[in-house]
Amino acid sequence: MENKQSSSPASFVDSTVVPGDVVLDLSSMTSQTIKLGGGLRQDCDAISAMKAGTLRFSKPNKYWIESSQKRYVPCVEDTILGIVVDSKADNFLIDIKGPAMGFLPVLAFEGGTRRNIPKFEVGTLLYLRVVKANSGMNPELSCTDASGKAAEFGPLKDGYMFETSTGLSRKLLSSPTCPVLEALGKKLSFEIAVGLNGRVWVNAASPDTIVVVANAIMNSESLSGAQQIIMVDHLLKNIQ
Amino acid sequence: MEVDREDGRSQNQLRPLACSRNILHRAHGSASWSQGDTKVLAAVYGPKAGTKKNENPEKACIEVIWKPKTGQIGKPEKEYEMILKRTLESVCILTVNPNTTTSIIVQVVNDDGALLPSAINAACMALVDAGIPMKHLAVAICCCVAKSGYVILDPTKLEEQQKMKAFAYLVFPNSVHSVLPEGSLRVEGEPIENGIITSVTHGIMSVDDYFYCLERGRAASVKLSDFLRRNLQQQSTDSSKAG
Repeated sequence: MENKQSSSPASFVDSTVVPGDVVLDLSSMTSQTIKLGGGLRQDCDAISAMKAGTLRFSKPNKYWIESSQKRYVPCVEDTILGIVVDSKADNFLIDIKGPAMGFLPVLAFEGGTRRNIPKFEVGTLLYLRVVKANSGMNPELSCTDASGKAAEFGPLKDGYMFETSTGLSRKLLSSPTCPVLEALGKKLSFEIAVGLNGRVWVNAASPDTIVVVANAIMNSESLSGAQQIIMVDHLLKNIQ
Repeated sequence: MEVDREDGRSQNQLRPLACSRNILHRAHGSASWSQGDTKVLAAVYGPKAGTKKNENPEKACIEVIWKPKTGQIGKPEKEYEMILKRTLESVCILTVNPNTTTSIIVQVVNDDGALLPSAINAACMALVDAGIPMKHLAVAICCCVAKSGYVILDPTKLEEQQKMKAFAYLVFPNSVHSVLPEGSLRVEGEPIENGIITSVTHGIMSVDDYFYCLERGRAASVKLSDFLRRNLQQQSTDSSKAG
């Protein structure tokens, strides 16, 4: 019997997959190590999709499903914006828009000792880094980078925070700079912190600027690069 | 046998389908599904930390709330909630987020026949919109056996009340695209598409009629699967999910 060639995995890469689609057949690639990212699960010899989205592949061996949600799935080394919900003896409980609360150890600050524990009120907005994110456990967060320095992590004062989807957060943090941020940066001066969990914080000298920046970012979700620039020009013309 | 249906459809023809996702601003996932005049809105909140008292904390818990169009919540609504909960529990992968609760709220906007299948389809699309991990999609269809013996798909409310002797709500897994040479994953030697997730029957029908319903339902579920896939592809190219 003629051996039917199974369609190569490249056929699903960059196309939309639906939960249940089998995207990789491991029995045909025995000598490789493959890394699976979010949205994929292994079922014996077949890798199938758990979420709907676009299958992406990055050389040499990483596969993942790119999709945009309103909730966040914690991953190690992500920078996120969290809101303090409670403080315990050893940890602060932080809401990170994920399935479980994040724990921020009380000593996870630069030069943090038992004597200088920061006092955060409930509702404080913090810029944090995810240290551990295991399934079933509460993610562990930190206000320092990997070498122990503060590096801009910590509470964000003043400004305005709004929620977006995770897809838009990733677009804002992509390099080269997202068109909407570039277009805004040419005319306005503002400070921005983007959390990969779908939260964005903006601060500027005047409230008008903050509102324009926030609206521009929220509108830019479904627009292409050129459309974003046109939209920003339109918004800026109206305020000047 | 030529079958006379009020709206001119043939025996196996479904009503026009429409589905839109991400319509509610605050819900983490939402979808509206309409089959002809029957329209259902589903919203998903979660996963949120904590499970209910009697639920297993090693798995995710699904909670369904059914809101009828008018009237108070009574036993029929509780029955729908239970059927939806069991169906969705078998479709979602519950081990990914243990000790969490996902709430699904189903609001009936208009009931013109085949209400529970529309609700199942809407809830499934809302779960996809929220990014809840799932094994495959659930595709639901209503088959009814008329008094004169023939089987029709997707009855309207008028047909349900006048013509029916018995009906069956059937939920099948969606048809799956696969790179495996022999098609989708096999469970005990049979492809996943040949399985059935839920079957709810009312009234009296013969075994042969039931199997005939299953066959017609499965054929229609392939068309529904294609519709779902096209819908997800379209909306992923122009997604608009600002929070």
